[in-house]
Amino acid sequence: METREILSLQFGHYSNFIGTHCWNIQERSFEYNSTTPSEINHDVLYREGLTLKGEVTFTPRLLLVDLKGSLGTLPESGNLYDPQVPPSTVDTWGQGVEIRESDKLPKNALQQQLDMHNSLRTNSNLDNAVNVWSDFLYPRFHPRTVNIIKEYMHGGESEFDVFPLGAKLWKTEQFAEEFADKIRNYIEECDSFQGFHVTLDATNGFSGLTSSCLEYINDEYERKSILAFPVIPSHYVDSEDERRPLKDSICVLNLALAFEMLQEKSSLFVPLCTGSNGWRKPGEPRKFYHVSYNSTSNYHTSAILASALDTITLKHRLKSRHDSLGDFCAYFNTHGRAAAGASLCLPFSLNKNADFIDCLDNWEGPLTQSITPNCTIGTDNLVQMFTLRGIPENRLKRPLPNANKQKLMSAYNCNSVNEMLNFYLSCNYYICLNNVTTVSQGMSVKTPFPNIFDEFVGNNGNIYGDSRPMDTVVESVPILAGLHSGLEVGTMLESLHTEAKRIKHPHKQQFITEGLEELELSESLNKLLELKECYENN
Amino acid sequence: MAAISLLNPKAEVARAAQALAVNISAAKGIQDVMKSNLGPKGTLKMLVSGAGDIKITKDGNVLLHEMQIQHPTASLIARASTAQDDMTGDGTTSTVLVIGELLKQADIYIAEGLHPRVLTAGFDKARFKTLEILDKLKIPIEVNKESLLDVARTSLRTKVHRELADVLTEICVDAILAIRTDNKPVDLHMVELMEMQHKTATDTQLIRGLVLDHGSRHPDMPKRLTNAYILTCNVSMEYEKSEVNSGLFYKTAEEREKLVTAERAFIEERVKKVVALKRKLCDGTDRSFVVINQKGIDPMSLDMLAKEGIIALRRAKRRNMERLALACGGVAMNHLDDLHESQLGYAGLVYEHILGENKFTFVEECKIPQSVTILMKAPNKHTLMQIKDAVRDGLRAINNAIDDKAVIPGAGAFELTAYKELMAFKDSVKGKSRLGIAAYAEALLIIPKVLAVNSGFDAQDTIVELQEESRLNPEPVGLDLSSGEAINPKEAGIYDNYIVKKQIINSCSVIASNLLLVDEIMRAGMSSLKG
Repeated sequence: METREILSLQFGHYSNFIGTHCWNIQERSFEYNSTTPSEINHDVLYREGLTLKGEVTFTPRLLLVDLKGSLGTLPESGNLYDPQVPPSTVDTWGQGVEIRESDKLPKNALQQQLDMHNSLRTNSNLDNAVNVWSDFLYPRFHPRTVNIIKEYMHGGESEFDVFPLGAKLWKTEQFAEEFADKIRNYIEECDSFQGFHVTLDATNGFSGLTSSCLEYINDEYERKSILAFPVIPSHYVDSEDERRPLKDSICVLNLALAFEMLQEKSSLFVPLCTGSNGWRKPGEPRKFYHVSYNSTSNYHTSAILASALDTITLKHRLKSRHDSLGDFCAYFNTHGRAAAGASLCLPFSLNKNADFIDCLDNWEGPLTQSITPNCTIGTDNLVQMFTLRGIPENRLKRPLPNANKQKLMSAYNCNSVNEMLNFYLSCNYYICLNNVTTVSQGMSVKTPFPNIFDEFVGNNGNIYGDSRPMDTVVESVPILAGLHSGLEVGTMLESLHTEAKRIKHPHKQQFITEGLEELELSESLNKLLELKECYENN
Repeated sequence: MAAISLLNPKAEVARAAQALAVNISAAKGIQDVMKSNLGPKGTLKMLVSGAGDIKITKDGNVLLHEMQIQHPTASLIARASTAQDDMTGDGTTSTVLVIGELLKQADIYIAEGLHPRVLTAGFDKARFKTLEILDKLKIPIEVNKESLLDVARTSLRTKVHRELADVLTEICVDAILAIRTDNKPVDLHMVELMEMQHKTATDTQLIRGLVLDHGSRHPDMPKRLTNAYILTCNVSMEYEKSEVNSGLFYKTAEEREKLVTAERAFIEERVKKVVALKRKLCDGTDRSFVVINQKGIDPMSLDMLAKEGIIALRRAKRRNMERLALACGGVAMNHLDDLHESQLGYAGLVYEHILGENKFTFVEECKIPQSVTILMKAPNKHTLMQIKDAVRDGLRAINNAIDDKAVIPGAGAFELTAYKELMAFKDSVKGKSRLGIAAYAEALLIIPKVLAVNSGFDAQDTIVELQEESRLNPEPVGLDLSSGEAINPKEAGIYDNYIVKKQIINSCSVIASNLLLVDEIMRAGMSSLKG
């Protein structure tokens, strides 16, 4: 079957946290000698390569950008193609050489294990061992993957904080030439390239960098789809009291500018945040049943968003279906509705030994929890798409002889998980266009995925009545993720617009100093309002 | 108490002498870091990151970019020096050294009670005079290989080791001469720089044609063609399902199939046009055909082209479209209607080279290539980076010389002459500002001093000896780094760029004056105001 390749782009530190989890989830589920082949076509997001020594590699088709100092112990070009050499052995043509060595950073237990065995033997708790995303990175990258911005330093109060700075940065040779070339190199080797997955930090300068990058992509690779995920961290580095209103205003303006540009330059964009407010302050953390996570830990929150992202994008990564990214985006993006909201149910709580039919029958409240800020998904007038993974067909219902009460339910006529979920949706949501994708394998949550599940979640992600024994770990979970487009998305955009509109001149100063005109800013806000109007019913 | 403290108690303030001390110590600090890099005998610096990434360099500009400079004054100086590099491609280290030295010299006089304003007035006079001296020293050159080789060699030897510098000198000069047309400014973008992790640094070579970083993506395509027509185009040859007719619009699989075939046929039509042209021009002759497309070519189209023995490359660099037209002739086509032979380019040899997962396509033996490629080779990444930085600077140096149509004697000769003449000029100036001129003249000597120190000689001894020589000799005198004696740079073929020196004189004087006139440093920004 023909593979339709996708190139992933990650802009910013939090995006890279999410991205790292995504790649971990995928790579931890690779089966090398299994009799049941994976339902996922990994070639969509991965590429096969060859090192100079003739070893075959399989690495993510990925380009990521981060600030200087954010890599921790990861060398910029990885160590897959070019093993590192100790400085003392470098040939310097017999000339005098002065060595300036930064302190060697210690590797955490996980990375040490990966270095030693090339695989993970034990499960470890990384909650305190993760500072940057490379600390829990499981896959190895192609040398062209990592791109570091030298001009700005990572950490603390980063100076790379406003949209126009990012746009300016794109004009430097590192991006306009080298980065653009890397995109081209990746696409050149694809036989039927279809589009881009873009994850971006929308609250800082990376939004501007992404904007310029997407402009370039639209120009050079016209008619390729772009699915974008602007993400908002649920916690900022400086503590809550010290966080000044100015910083918040800057975040809001960056977000507004990011959304406006995504509306124009992407095929579909889905804002993600584990906080419920997102704009000024991330707000109350969203709650998920049987999950307890630390909302101030990027390592935790990004894992939740990553599981949503990985599940949402499954639809066009399956072996069995021929869905394209273009169809995916066009399904939502009609009449200018370029934004959509996302929701998640993690884990999809199926009781041990229970059947899917009973589970749905007993379900109370909405199926999923929204993970788009300021957006509560309703139950009518929606265009939506659900992806459910981890419910095998044999858990659907009991066979006829011992079906008992199940026989009485009208859903008993459904013969597949897909059909039943569809049926459930048509009963519980009104005037909705539903689309369901189901995958029987669950999502892998083996280390380095954080252990955020409570004691009632069993080894396979099912819910048990009593606590799980100390020595078992959750290896995979069923999960349900949804994408929605409707009036609520309009409300979300409106709240952002209101928030941005309120910002007074002094707080815009930094944007104006960096070359954005006041007029452009208010024009962008108006466009945001126009986008909101696309969601009104008439 | 400073006024700002009333308004903002959090503001940090340094005043008058304290402010000056801050600036001077920062300038000295950055000068100390960069000192050892100057000149062909300067040391290399190896930067090793916490994760073990290695970077080796001698280039001041690269160093300044790599170092995370926190101090505001130091970063101001760093920015001025990198701006120097952006404009002229060289002279970064010199800029840092001269600014630092100007402040150091100024410090001595200010400590004795001289007002900075008077001092800067002297700097300004000295600057005008120095520019005059610079113009006097200018040696007009003809644009030919010999004279350019000297300039390029002088610049490159300060970046990489001697053996490699000599290889690169030849390559850079040949590259520029190839793409240069009379009376037109040279577009350096028309020299493509291609990296290949392979062999050793001295295997770097000039390709009179183009090297593309991709190859054909079809197993049956020829790997080598001679006597080839080159068609460059920007026309999509891949079938793309447009989004409009997605999912909802067709009812049955057959209908979908039908639409697909119709759209496919449209693309096929394009490929057939290329094939038809190839048949018309090449069949029955010994000529062959190559297509280089900026857009994509899908496997089915590649297949059609492969059957005709055509090499087809997809997703070429945008800039290579322009380069191809200059290297091989022909026009980059945006459509394939009415194709004509005159729109095609020509290359005597096109072949593919595979290195691991990387493919390279060489387009060589062009008739009069006006775009060329420097193929840089090295066994590892950090050496490649070093070569790339050096080649860029080399090309800039040559280009500067062509633009200036003149060069300046190197090896510290300019600074020594300027010192001699400024000291003479000083006496003709009335008032205290002559002290500024003296400081300025003294500061310029930092360049020959550091050159001497880096080569293992005593700074004072050398300077005294050189000044002696300079007084006796009407010709400019420079420093021979291997013997420590005086030489005539003209005879040794050591030349610097005129524009680089001019830029150094201007920017150093301005920055140093500005820093001297600072009498209060405050740290209080928008970010510390409660909003």
